[in-house]
Amino acid sequence: MKNRGVLHLFVFGVLMVFLVGVCATHSLAKDKIRIGQAISLSGPNAIGVSISGGRIYVMWVEEINKNGGIYVKEYGKKLPVELIRYDDKTDIGTMTKLLEKLILEDKVDFVFPPWATAWLYAAAPIANKYKYILIGGPGGALKLKELSLPYFFQVLNFSETQAPALTGIFKEVGVKSAAVIYRGDLHGVEYGEAMVPYFEKKGIEVKMKKSYPPGIKDLSPLLKEAESLDVDAFCAASYPDGGMLLTGQSLELGINFNAFFITVTPFSPNLYRDTFGTNTVEGVMGGGAWNAKSSPGAKAFVDKFVARFGMEPDYWGGLYYWSSLQHFQQAIEKAGTLDQKKIRDIMATEKFETALGPFWYDKNRYFVNHPGEIGQWQKGVFEVIDPGEKRTAPPLYPKPAWPKPKK
Amino acid sequence: MIVRILDVVIAGLLLGGIYAMIAVGLSLQYGVARVLNIAHGEFIMLGAFITWWLYTIVGINPLVSLVICGPIVFTIGFILYRTLFTRLRASSPSSAAFEGSSMLACFGLLFIIQNVAILIWGADMKGYSYLAFPVNFGGAKFAANRLVTLGFAMVIGVVFYLFLARARLGKAIRAAAQAPATAGLMGVNINQVLALCFGLGALMAGLGGSLLSISYKIYPTMGLEYTIIALIVIVLGGLGSIPGSFIGGFILGLVGSIVTYIEPGLALVAYYVMFMLLLLVRPKGILGK
Repeated sequence: MKNRGVLHLFVFGVLMVFLVGVCATHSLAKDKIRIGQAISLSGPNAIGVSISGGRIYVMWVEEINKNGGIYVKEYGKKLPVELIRYDDKTDIGTMTKLLEKLILEDKVDFVFPPWATAWLYAAAPIANKYKYILIGGPGGALKLKELSLPYFFQVLNFSETQAPALTGIFKEVGVKSAAVIYRGDLHGVEYGEAMVPYFEKKGIEVKMKKSYPPGIKDLSPLLKEAESLDVDAFCAASYPDGGMLLTGQSLELGINFNAFFITVTPFSPNLYRDTFGTNTVEGVMGGGAWNAKSSPGAKAFVDKFVARFGMEPDYWGGLYYWSSLQHFQQAIEKAGTLDQKKIRDIMATEKFETALGPFWYDKNRYFVNHPGEIGQWQKGVFEVIDPGEKRTAPPLYPKPAWPKPKK
Repeated sequence: MIVRILDVVIAGLLLGGIYAMIAVGLSLQYGVARVLNIAHGEFIMLGAFITWWLYTIVGINPLVSLVICGPIVFTIGFILYRTLFTRLRASSPSSAAFEGSSMLACFGLLFIIQNVAILIWGADMKGYSYLAFPVNFGGAKFAANRLVTLGFAMVIGVVFYLFLARARLGKAIRAAAQAPATAGLMGVNINQVLALCFGLGALMAGLGGSLLSISYKIYPTMGLEYTIIALIVIVLGGLGSIPGSFIGGFILGLVGSIVTYIEPGLALVAYYVMFMLLLLVRPKGILGK
């Protein structure tokens, strides 16, 4: 019995030494960069994640690791990247808890953004509180700008630059009146509120302005009302559920407008163009925008994306996010450390070459060199139609009527 | 003005037809089989995805696929009851305990079915176009596919009601609903009948899903919102009452349509306000006993 006790003590001792040793070496030698992301992998927003943004973070991590990792001078070697993802189930509260868990419990080195404007708006102050860099992905709002958070970087364009661009296009083609409908959340309200004053300032009469709740099952009353008011342009600030419903219903009811604009949804070649068909979506305008013609890097990115996932990337944020990550990587390499503050300072001031061309943030830490604001489907390509040098094709106006379906 | 009213009323009926159909299934499952099936919407989703699959891969007409989809979902429901719920029922000391434990089991079922669907089909939205053209109706325009959907929902609903009211098996189901123990003593194989009810509930959900997929885009997590609507409808119509669920569905559709016409932002609010008012004024529902 006595021998047994000694044996137990011995085994326990060996194990303790081993465990402590493992822990010690673990904390000393950095062997990878761990990045956490709380994002909607299920629930309504999962649709958005899968058509826009979600895959780009995965592809970036894969590409980094294929090249051996990111070189960090402090460790004197390349560190591969590990992406840790949690599902927020399309719930903002869950996302904020998971983000704090990633930072406090998992102690990840960096965090990536959640999906959607309202989620980003909730995540940014949290990341900022713990002095974690948050590079904004899908989403953008004027209200975020008002918060002025030093660790938050806004990547995607939003109403601030898109509403004037859309107004410019409408002026150019001769739109006289418009109907504006918007989803009752941060995204919709901001776009809805932003479009109306720009239109009115330029003499485009807004004959109808209405909001609708997320989850609504029938938008035909809104379409019919706009039709009866005989407006030139129908503009909707919606997410994929509403965007698909609106297009489907106006198609089914044969309701045509000279211009048909939806913020979120048309940019997706897979969900939008391929569900309805290239012919059907001809002339539909959407938020965005870029395409393979935007820059040589954009073309390379499309090819890479198609090779990896067997489908085209989205033509709103895809190139924006990808380039922001390339900028981030170069900032880490230049800093030579994983220290948030040092990397942040470099990101805030330095310009790096990326797929969309030179990438930098302005003094508010907002990315400004947008590849485009408004896109339009023309023969299967999401053309950039903004007035100015980023344009890849002139706008098509009036939009061709929905094709007659086979009965 | 007449055209406007017609427009709003018919739009409400179109939506109501679908609501009625999915609610009938839940009503049967809860009213007779005593399972508050939180996973009801997942069966709708399964029906929708099977239809989408058949249409996009094999090219089968969505209306024809009703006869394929129905039996598949029915079988899943039937087997689930025979294996999972029969066992839970046997081990529950009272019917109240069974209601509690079966509801929890349904929560589990919801997550399992939803996640399996995400694995198979991915989280994206799917859809197809079928009968996507307008039909003129006294000056008001409606989508052909929604009218066809309403027609099928009505026919399926009436056939189903006649089955319950007239057929021998239907009578056994009603007997089981009113007094399970007595029905058992009278020679009704109660486990079989309850499983049948659950299966039929799933069948209605599956058919509803098939019809939904014609006019709506579908995704694996779409189920819960329909479950909630079905719950509102069966409370509105009266628990366990099939005609009640039908009427409730149409009322909900109409109210939604009228409110959307006035102020779309309040459409969903109206559903819940109506739900709360009903619970306060007539808690047993319109046709509840």
